[in-house]
Amino acid sequence: MQKYPASFILPLLAAGMGVLFVVNISIGSVPIPVRDVLKALFADTGTYSEIVWQFRLPKAITCVLAGGALATGGLLMQTLFRNPMAGPDVLGLTSGSSLLVAMLLMAGRYGSSIANLIQSPWSIAIAASLGGAIVFMLIISVARYVRDNTALLIIGLMISAATSSVVSVLQFTSQADDLQTFMIWMLGSVGSTGWSELSVLAIVILAGLAISISLVKSLNGMLLGESYARSLAINVKRSRTLVVIATGLMVGAVTAFCGPIAFVGLAVPHLVRLLLPVSNHKILIPGVALGGAILLLMCDIVAQLPGSTQVLPLNAITSMIGAPVVIWMVIKAKRISV
Amino acid sequence: MSEPGNIALQTTNLVVGFKQDKLEHVLFEPLSLALRQGELVCFMGSNGVGKTTLIKTLAGIQPSLSGTVTTHDAVALVLTDKISGTWMTVRDLVTYGRYPYLNWWLSLTSEDHLIIENAIRHVHLQLIADKQLNQLSDGQLQMAMIARALAQNTGILLLDEPTAHLDLNNRVEIMNLLRMLARETGKTILVATHELDLALQTADKIWLATPDRKIVEGIPEDLVLNGTFDDVFNLKGFDLKTGKITHTPYRKISVQLEGTGAEYLWTKNALERSGYEVTAHASTSIHILMDDNSTAWNLVRNHASSQYNSLHDLLNELKR
Repeated sequence: MQKYPASFILPLLAAGMGVLFVVNISIGSVPIPVRDVLKALFADTGTYSEIVWQFRLPKAITCVLAGGALATGGLLMQTLFRNPMAGPDVLGLTSGSSLLVAMLLMAGRYGSSIANLIQSPWSIAIAASLGGAIVFMLIISVARYVRDNTALLIIGLMISAATSSVVSVLQFTSQADDLQTFMIWMLGSVGSTGWSELSVLAIVILAGLAISISLVKSLNGMLLGESYARSLAINVKRSRTLVVIATGLMVGAVTAFCGPIAFVGLAVPHLVRLLLPVSNHKILIPGVALGGAILLLMCDIVAQLPGSTQVLPLNAITSMIGAPVVIWMVIKAKRISV
Repeated sequence: MSEPGNIALQTTNLVVGFKQDKLEHVLFEPLSLALRQGELVCFMGSNGVGKTTLIKTLAGIQPSLSGTVTTHDAVALVLTDKISGTWMTVRDLVTYGRYPYLNWWLSLTSEDHLIIENAIRHVHLQLIADKQLNQLSDGQLQMAMIARALAQNTGILLLDEPTAHLDLNNRVEIMNLLRMLARETGKTILVATHELDLALQTADKIWLATPDRKIVEGIPEDLVLNGTFDDVFNLKGFDLKTGKITHTPYRKISVQLEGTGAEYLWTKNALERSGYEVTAHASTSIHILMDDNSTAWNLVRNHASSQYNSLHDLLNELKR
């Protein structure tokens, strides 16, 4: 099954990401030739410099960060629950983040004196991370009683539905212009991040990624189950808390600035394992992070509808590409596993 | 490593069990047991008696309710827990044994690699070391799990039902391997099992969980002869003292059998299985005739004699 070693696949993925990064920047309502993209990026000259630096580059970097973060979050959750169908959107983490972001925006409306403070990128990121982490902890505590994989997923879906309904109530009571902002946010977008939001996004996601990488040994140990992990001198409780923090940070930050992007966290770990059939997180984490970045760059390219000025909602594209892929994989492999 | 026969693991008034809703469920009376170095001990008892809980408590991954466990050596475990990670290879799995000694980035030294390869060789999985776990048979997977525990390089090895769900051949192979490990590498090994026949033939010592929630210690033969096994397992139709299933001579016919060696034993088996009683003197008699390359059975009944080349034919004739 393992046709190529990781030392070949990982650089290949990195190169693929680099190419898509440049293509992503060159495509948009105004197509920019690749030569001019490179000129603008490396020499900061040329006619397109302004578009590239102000709009296209932040958007492409957001794709890379958000894709990598969601996919890594999905991998961490699948390993922690030892459940191939776990993912940030499936188990309600993104809904948790959405709820806290919505509440924060509402609070900002009614307490106008502290509105500016509350609606800074940092507080939105923190609220979203907290929302994701709270739902994650809720699911973990439920998982102690429910050993059945399917039951866990159903509970995740219910938590997701419950939080979404609270969000809808908030929407219903909000004013028309707020509602529109919120609806657009729900559709998922990587284009609304300026450099100030981007720096927050990058810091939070890189922190989450760093924690994930520091957990390589514990994550591998979790695959054998709690008893074996403990017999191998792995501190399961501490590792689990750190997984919650890392996933909460990564998923929360993405949800705060890009909206609840579906499917990436669930599917990318499985897609990457088609190329890298391994269980070692030392290889899986970089592989999955690169895979997530690639997928989101691709989805964003499709969403731009090359040759048109229209932009499709990102969430529609990730699900449209992703859902059939997962169905195909389940049918082909009969079963998918962690 | 300690001297042969020294105590490797000891419990003092150990109470094992679990807490549920603030209620303590105690599984055994307070236990004071010891494992000696180089010993192979089989821990027997009916299903659900608490073998897994005791093993996990001895290994220190489950807290005891009271009392102490003193270990004079590190402990490695083989459990019945299902593992994930079907993408990993046998070698990846064995590498887990080195985890307690590795840093967070899992950098393996040349010594680690040597220990891993040795562990794989011990269980004879060299040829499939690069196969993924989902391609292995149940027996091979269990061997790989044991190799993982061996790579941990501990003096004590605790195994929970390592032969469950395996066929006879694999069960014998695993018990022989454990026997060899105890003898040649001086490991102290505790195996929880309910496989009576294998335990009786391989264990140095038996820990037997009795219905009154005690654990009786002893060598297998003593426990057989004093009837402790019969009490615990409530044996139905299996005579432990002869090691055979008890047959009822329902045909009420006695047969006299003369012969030697394996042929004698299996002929006797066939007769008893078919409901005949084999006695020293009877009007019906069977002689086993053996020369260098063939066996025949001579039946004398009602002063008539006839000869058969297979037990099948002999039994058919007897039934007439």
